[in-house]
Amino acid sequence: MTIIEPSGNGHEAPRPDGPHAPPPEHTLDEPPLLQLKGIRAAYGPIEVLHGVDLVVPEGSVVALLGPNGAGKSTILKVCSGLLQPSAGEVHLAGRIVNGASADQLARLGVCTIPEGRGIFPNLTVRENLWMATMAGVPLDHVEEVAYARFPRLGERRKQLAGTMSGGEQQMLAMSRALAVNPALLLLDELSMGLAPLVVANLYEIVAQVSEEGVSILVSEQFARTVLGIAQYAAIVLHGNVTREGTPEELEDELSAAYLGS
Amino acid sequence: MQTFLQYTILGLVVGGVYFIAASGLVVTYTTSGIFNFAQGAIAMLAAFTYWQVRWGWGWPAPLALLLVLGVLAPLLGAVLYQVIMKNLRGTSEVTKIIVPVGVMLGFLSLATWIWNPTPRTPRLFYKFFGANATVKIFDVRLTWHEIIAFFLAIVIAGGIAFLFRRTRSGVAMRAVVDDPDLLQLNGGRPERLATLSWAGGAFLAALAGILITPIQGTAMSANALTLLVIDAFAAAMFGRLKSLPRTFVGAIVLGLATNYVIAYFPANKWTWTGAFRSSIPMILLFVVLLVLPQDRLRGATVLRTRERFRMPSLRTAWIAGLVLVVVVWALRTIMATTAINTLAYGITLSIIALSLVLLTGYAGEINLAALSFGAIGTIIVFHYGISGTGNDARMTLWGILLAAVVCAVVGALVALPALRLRGLYLALATMAFGVFVSRMVLTEIGERELFGIKFSIFQGGSLTIPRPEIGPFDFKSNDSFLMLATVVFALMAVGLVSLRHSNYGRRLAAMKDSPAACATLGMSVVRLKLSVFMMSAAIAGVGGVLMSAQLGSVNLDRFDIFLSLVILLLTVVGGIGYASGALFSGVLFGCSILAIQNTLTKLGSDYKSLEAVFGFLVSAVSVMPATIGVTMGKNPSGAITDIVESLEGIKKSKPLMLTMIGLQVLIWALAWQGVINNWHFVIFTAANLLIVPPLGGAVLKNMALKKAGVEPPVPPELIGIDRPFTDDDRLAIEHALGLDAVPLPVSAPVHHQEEAAHAPA
Repeated sequence: MTIIEPSGNGHEAPRPDGPHAPPPEHTLDEPPLLQLKGIRAAYGPIEVLHGVDLVVPEGSVVALLGPNGAGKSTILKVCSGLLQPSAGEVHLAGRIVNGASADQLARLGVCTIPEGRGIFPNLTVRENLWMATMAGVPLDHVEEVAYARFPRLGERRKQLAGTMSGGEQQMLAMSRALAVNPALLLLDELSMGLAPLVVANLYEIVAQVSEEGVSILVSEQFARTVLGIAQYAAIVLHGNVTREGTPEELEDELSAAYLGS
Repeated sequence: MQTFLQYTILGLVVGGVYFIAASGLVVTYTTSGIFNFAQGAIAMLAAFTYWQVRWGWGWPAPLALLLVLGVLAPLLGAVLYQVIMKNLRGTSEVTKIIVPVGVMLGFLSLATWIWNPTPRTPRLFYKFFGANATVKIFDVRLTWHEIIAFFLAIVIAGGIAFLFRRTRSGVAMRAVVDDPDLLQLNGGRPERLATLSWAGGAFLAALAGILITPIQGTAMSANALTLLVIDAFAAAMFGRLKSLPRTFVGAIVLGLATNYVIAYFPANKWTWTGAFRSSIPMILLFVVLLVLPQDRLRGATVLRTRERFRMPSLRTAWIAGLVLVVVVWALRTIMATTAINTLAYGITLSIIALSLVLLTGYAGEINLAALSFGAIGTIIVFHYGISGTGNDARMTLWGILLAAVVCAVVGALVALPALRLRGLYLALATMAFGVFVSRMVLTEIGERELFGIKFSIFQGGSLTIPRPEIGPFDFKSNDSFLMLATVVFALMAVGLVSLRHSNYGRRLAAMKDSPAACATLGMSVVRLKLSVFMMSAAIAGVGGVLMSAQLGSVNLDRFDIFLSLVILLLTVVGGIGYASGALFSGVLFGCSILAIQNTLTKLGSDYKSLEAVFGFLVSAVSVMPATIGVTMGKNPSGAITDIVESLEGIKKSKPLMLTMIGLQVLIWALAWQGVINNWHFVIFTAANLLIVPPLGGAVLKNMALKKAGVEPPVPPELIGIDRPFTDDDRLAIEHALGLDAVPLPVSAPVHHQEEAAHAPA
């Protein structure tokens, strides 16, 4: 019998046990840390996500790959609570968290480093770190972790964050992720506008955070850097997750995703 | 020495109160990015409320203070933010200025509504512990009230500095301005912080109001009290709306300067001392703007706003202008003289509003004192543009043109210092100019002698301006003047539309969207801003001259800064991107509000038993402009956008349009011949405009379909009920659901679905 593959309109039910879904040991015992089910999201009248399904198993690094304008950042916005989905469910550790605001999610242990530099330019370094304590960690701890990992920040604690270099600003943003000890870390376009060396440095830190058991969802245009540390990857195209799997499985698809379609 | 000490100490006290008011501005601006023009009005409301509770009802002072400062003021601030200011995120700078201005105007009319401006017994506002509770410091007698005021200022300065630097909530308040989303991602609650800061800002405004009212010793007037705190804007500017220490210095300088003028510029020797003293804050504001460092150019990311304006084509503009002239001509034939005069007044105001369409709608800059340019134009025409005397006096064309040129030059002088800065600063510069004109220029009623030339700028406090005579045309009669004003408005409006379509107009639009991009393209943003501001000032000047000619004689109340604000507010409400928005503004302000109030008053005198109700409605209407102004945050594109969209249907259908025009001509003819009176005319016209389009639209649609041999469509939910369900219907539904590509095995659809779920992809 001929069956026509769902054309990507998003009307169809999710495919929970397709061959490229994450291995079952994560999904069977306990719910995954983050799960998106049929997420649709729109900016005003323009729908940009047309039914996204995505799973981030506990303790893993999942990379969202895809070209500009595919919807990666929007997926992260939905996960972080900045954008409310128009349909679908967001599950966090098995609980539906639709409607929760970004600050509620932040206090529940979701740490987001948004696109660009996730810092307050008109606050000093120390004041920036102070803001991280709203997630419920004491300032002493945040400062200790940040300055130990990035001594440069310690030298500049009284400097306005906006006057630092791009790499230093990204360090400041990352030190929040290190210090608040989140359950889930959402990273959006970490490499944007940074020198390759700095990017490599930052991804070392991401790997380190991941080793501490933090689940990470990271979006990235430059696939090579992130695939080195990711256990799973999902390719996002035109507001849909078109393929999921391990980095090896997706190797061939990647060039097609960027060049073709 | 005694004088010096006395006025220095008093200056410090006044400066302290200025600081309290200015710090409130800084607090709200740093957390919400909104410059709270209503700060002065909040202070005024608080002073009145305190007076009511303390002396009106005789409560003890601590209880009254607790109620006003502890409960009402913070509550007002919080409610203001939650209900109104919250909606301003993502709107343009213009809307962010207009909405607080609307709040200010609303509070003003509210205060005059509740507290009769001319009470039988004057309202007395005493100092804390009375005027006799004094101490001597350095041989200067000070009241406890003054000492309290000064020390409160210092405590507040320290308190706010501590809050913003040393507490997490305070730092978070500053973080909100940088990036509210990021603060949320950190786990902060931006909304709550902004609400808190507005509550704090309102508290500080209220405190300043209660402290300064008895120090100034003026009678309790809503307008004067509001302006008193507006003087604190200069202090806030001194600190660039950010730095509290500099704001403190600015406030002290302001307080000292105003008091030294009293001390060393003897009022008995120079008649202008009083006017100069009250103008000092505005002069200082201007000087501060001059020395502020250049603002950074900003790109488009910050300016992505919700306002949308579609430019009409030049052809549409010509047609609209012609229709306007014809309509006004037709109305004129059936109107009474007073109505003609009111309408002409409204249209001259529309011309002034047109200057704002060019400046704000096209170029994104702001002028808060359009009428002050009208005042300048009027003064020029009065001195240089009148030929003949008495009944034969006429305004000359050269006079009008000269007025336009002078206004353009004055406009350049006003705008020049602020052009390097963002829109808010230009707005404040124009406001300083407007207040300066009202306080210093329009009070020049006596004769002065300078270098042997005798002159008086605003002779006798009231200028008589005759109607113009241009070439062979004399516009002395009311009818002809109405037509002149209408034609001038129509021509200017068409001119503006064609300007907007020109290369220059496109550059204006580009500058409005992204000054940074313009600068990188090699445009001189400053020159562009300057030229458009001059043009706008000239238009406002001509409008003001015509307004004065319509009124016959004008005094300084006609050019009040608050009236300028109302015009701007209503133009934004109408749609600042359109010439029709200006017409909306002028006619609504000049005619409709007055007409509604007159009607209500007349109804009140006709039906004595309901007089109180109608009196209430009259007051309610006076609050109306402000009330519609504050809703702008929700619909920043203005009313005209909605009206134009609703007209689309009529424009598409010729028969419907012809029917409406025919009906309207018939109604007009009946009124013209005296068959129906003007009340019926208004009612029939409203019916024609409101009821015919939807009704006629539906009828015509069905008629057209029948003509083409097509049955009118049956709504989908009635298919199968009103007519049988066909194969075509099924296909249409499948197409709508996106199923037409799927070959359906009709025999076993359920089975098919189950298989699909299990099949390998």
